[in-house]
Amino acid sequence: MAEEVLRLEGIRKSYNVGTPVESEVLHGIDLVLQVGEFCALMGPSGCGKTTLLNVMGLLDRPSAGKLFIKGAETSGLGDRGLTALRGHSIGFVFQYHHLLPAFTAVENVMMPMLVDRGRPDAAMRRRANELLESMALTPWRDNLAINMSGGQQQRVAVARALAMDPSLLLADEPTGNLDTKAAQGVFDMMREVNRRHGTTVLVVTHNHALAAQCGRIVELVDGRIVSDRHLPAAAQAAVEHTEETSQRR
Amino acid sequence: MHNWLPFEWIAASRFLREGRMQSISIILGVSIGVGVIIFMSAALAGQQANIIRRVLSAQAHIVLLPPQEIARPLRENDVAEAAIVQRPFQRVRSMDQWQKIIKEVGEMRVVTAVSPMASGPVLAVRGEATRAVSVLGVDPALYFRVIPLPDKIVAGAARLTSEDIVIGIDLASDLGVTVGDKLRITVASGQGATLTISGIVDLGSKGANQRNTYVALHTAQALLGLIGGVSSIDVTVPDIYAAEDIAQAIAAATGVEADSWIKTNAQLYLAISAQVIANSTIRFCVGLAIAFGIAAVLIVSVVQKSKEIGILRAMGASQGQILRVFLLEGAVLGLAGSVFGSALGAGAILAWQTLLKNPDGTPLFPLEMDPRLFIASAVLATLTGLASAVAPALRGARLDPVVAIRG
Ligand SMILES: Nc1ncnc2c1ncn2[C@@H]1O[C@H](COP(=O)(O)OP(=O)(O)O)[C@@H](O)[C@H]1O
Ligand SMILES: [Mg+2]
Repeated sequence: MAEEVLRLEGIRKSYNVGTPVESEVLHGIDLVLQVGEFCALMGPSGCGKTTLLNVMGLLDRPSAGKLFIKGAETSGLGDRGLTALRGHSIGFVFQYHHLLPAFTAVENVMMPMLVDRGRPDAAMRRRANELLESMALTPWRDNLAINMSGGQQQRVAVARALAMDPSLLLADEPTGNLDTKAAQGVFDMMREVNRRHGTTVLVVTHNHALAAQCGRIVELVDGRIVSDRHLPAAAQAAVEHTEETSQRR
Repeated sequence: MHNWLPFEWIAASRFLREGRMQSISIILGVSIGVGVIIFMSAALAGQQANIIRRVLSAQAHIVLLPPQEIARPLRENDVAEAAIVQRPFQRVRSMDQWQKIIKEVGEMRVVTAVSPMASGPVLAVRGEATRAVSVLGVDPALYFRVIPLPDKIVAGAARLTSEDIVIGIDLASDLGVTVGDKLRITVASGQGATLTISGIVDLGSKGANQRNTYVALHTAQALLGLIGGVSSIDVTVPDIYAAEDIAQAIAAATGVEADSWIKTNAQLYLAISAQVIANSTIRFCVGLAIAFGIAAVLIVSVVQKSKEIGILRAMGASQGQILRVFLLEGAVLGLAGSVFGSALGAGAILAWQTLLKNPDGTPLFPLEMDPRLFIASAVLATLTGLASAVAPALRGARLDPVVAIRG
């Protein structure tokens, strides 16, 4: 049996607890992600995808339910423990607020390592440069965010999310603001990472063409998982093939 | 990103550079505040030192006198019959057991010099000209440690053998005399002595320069009919502001009257104290204004940077790290402001000294450029920056990353 990266058991999340406008957004989510999976999370706007990602990424605590990271239960951890685990095990790619605007591309990629180790060193810079290289971003590595296209910025964000070599990469609509070609570029990078390093990826997307390239599609509606499908490898390959042929045309 | 700088420094300096306009504005504000404090403190210190120097140039810190002769009101059954009591005429009297008092006071730890004096009113006569003056008979070896007359000599020397007299510069010009001239000193009884002017001194105030004449102790004793006696004892203390307390201690211990310069210049001392209080109040208020200014800038900065804070938290930055970034920003703003402010203050002091001058070309009054003032202001401004950053930094550290990122 494959190893688990993430296990959710009966996760509920309510906002504005104890106020008249208290509302439950997640109504008991059970989900397991195995090492090396590439999973798409789909669902209409407002169904709770971002909320779920924040809970999975230890940015937010669930109101009820259990969350295991690599088999370890997390509800007993304090802010310090969660922060450390988040820094070491989880990489985030956000939809809008991609990069730290005061820092260059390579500095952004170094940042998770810097935050972890306190001081910059040559090894960090080397790793950041390698990651940028693998994202085909070497020419832009000393650029600030404002001097890069949306697709480039989001690829830097992916490189940054991978800096600490996380077990789980959570991407919240990373391609939502990109044109089709740039979106496919960012997506390809994540798939490459998944294939090469076995990093588990969960990506929120509204794009069915992109979702079809994933090994698994989980669908969320109104805070409940309504479908969870594993796609056969053949189907993924077929999608890729049609894409390639369509691009050639 | 330099390899030796920790994350907090890197983030703080980038954030400050990113909010350049805010950083520059607040540093300017802090600079002006620090500059004002430094200039004001220097001006005040200089002015006070100047005034006190003038006051104490011809006056001992503490003067011991024989206990005053008091006329007691007639009392019967505790009811005063004569409510208004005329003070008796205070004669030139010798102090009882003055050698013992000198020894006793001289041994006190808070006293640096003790000098006996025989003084009284006399007439200085030179041809047709006559002036009423005080003759101060002193033992030069002891007295020069109380009032450094040799430093104040403008002509001749501070020599006091039995034939010598040292007079103030204004008396010399009033009488039209100079070093080497003879001067006749007479007392009311008609007794007198003819002395040679050995030196002319500038005591720093017109009154003293017209009134004071210095002779050897035994010369004055003979003139004033105080053979073997002294009329007062001068005392020097290291801490001039403690003079009154020490005077009271001496009075209690010896039974003599002890007048400190603070008591004899009560009005002046009060004025100086009021100035010190005013200065402290202004300093405190400027410091408070600086603190609120820095806090305001940092609160805005935390709000503006909340997304960045959220991103940093998401990638594993701890609350402590975020806290330190903003504390550091506050400290840096305070320190930078105090550095520029010190330069500003020093510039103002130099400008004052070169632009505002007495007719004779000396500065109006010398300002004290105390390096300790600059160090203290740098430390204080940095601490103020740090302290004002506490609330904004806590706010930043406690931001919920989810809310921060969602915006
Ligand atoms: N901080 C919050 N306070 C209150 N309600 C929230 C908060 N965040 C999200 N919600 C609500 O929770 C629901 C799910 O939001 P979200 O997880 O962002 O959905 P999605 O990412 O699928 O669009 C929405 O109705 C949203 O209004
Ligand atoms: Mg969302």
